[in-house]
Amino acid sequence: MLLGRTCTELESRLEEIDWTAHETPQKTPPFFGLPVILLSPSPIIHNIQNNKKQKMSQYFSNNENSLNTVTTVNVSNNFTVADNRSSILAWLSPLEPRLRHQDVRASRVGNIGEWLLQTKEFRSWYTGSEGGESNNAVLFCYGNPGVGKTFIR
Amino acid sequence: MIDRLCDQAGGQNAAVACFYFDFAAQKEQSPTSVLGSLLKQAVGGLEEVPGELATTYENQKKVIGGRGPQLSGIVRMLQTTSSKKPTFICIDALDECAAGYRVKILDSLNQILDKSPGTRVFVTGRAHIRPEIGRCFAGRATSVSVSPKRDDIITYLRTRLHEDTTPDAMDSSLEAAILKKIPEDISEM
Repeated sequence: MLLGRTCTELESRLEEIDWTAHETPQKTPPFFGLPVILLSPSPIIHNIQNNKKQKMSQYFSNNENSLNTVTTVNVSNNFTVADNRSSILAWLSPLEPRLRHQDVRASRVGNIGEWLLQTKEFRSWYTGSEGGESNNAVLFCYGNPGVGKTFIR
Repeated sequence: MIDRLCDQAGGQNAAVACFYFDFAAQKEQSPTSVLGSLLKQAVGGLEEVPGELATTYENQKKVIGGRGPQLSGIVRMLQTTSSKKPTFICIDALDECAAGYRVKILDSLNQILDKSPGTRVFVTGRAHIRPEIGRCFAGRATSVSVSPKRDDIITYLRTRLHEDTTPDAMDSSLEAAILKKIPEDISEM
């Protein structure tokens, strides 16, 4: 899907480019904004490449160095992302428990499990957080499979 | 539970981090990934990434190919973030965690509580891991048995019946029979 869209975009960008117009190595054609595609050509890309083969090879031979330069720049754009915060967070763990949480939330019904919140065990666990007491820091809810532990309100 | 805590905790500027264990994902759910994921959620709620974390990240990047975070470092940073801000950690189905990993995860949580005793840990699981929890957290843990409550079952059944996509197949006597029979059977579980 994404690849398909990227290909379409690539195609339209290729159409926009007048390959012969790029005489100078400093100008980067937008095509090279997608270096990953170059590494894994799909049939569509193959066709595009065939169609444009002559013009492309002409361009590359005019300007062999620019291919290397451009590719390097783009690789660094992809992997040393400017948004440092999200790279740090992604580095911490690949797991996304929030996704599972969305599923649970979506399939939960009403106030089921509300009774637990009224127990003295829960209250003492919950209010303990305000006093900073070390007692009852852990609340363990146990039961057989399917009794609804995951879905406690 | 998590949503409830988030709603209530929002007012007191608390952090809520959750984790769901799954038999099918035992291999990926290693102590480092699990604790890393909790830290990720705790840090995600902060305005700024703590300096220690940013430095650790920058340092590992210098190694070719980079290096994953280390458990000891993650635990240390969780100790720091949870002592600065009220923190709730919710862990579902701890019994589905691989036994070897579970020991380390419980131990890490305990280390966090050592430094930050105000942190609240909510754990669910089957009864057979209860002794393990008791051993690890010693006097810190309280247990509650969860069993289906009749009213909850009826609420659940009514909701699902209401959402039924073939309502024509239902009549009032069938509905009454369902609402009577299923809660009876479940209470015998």
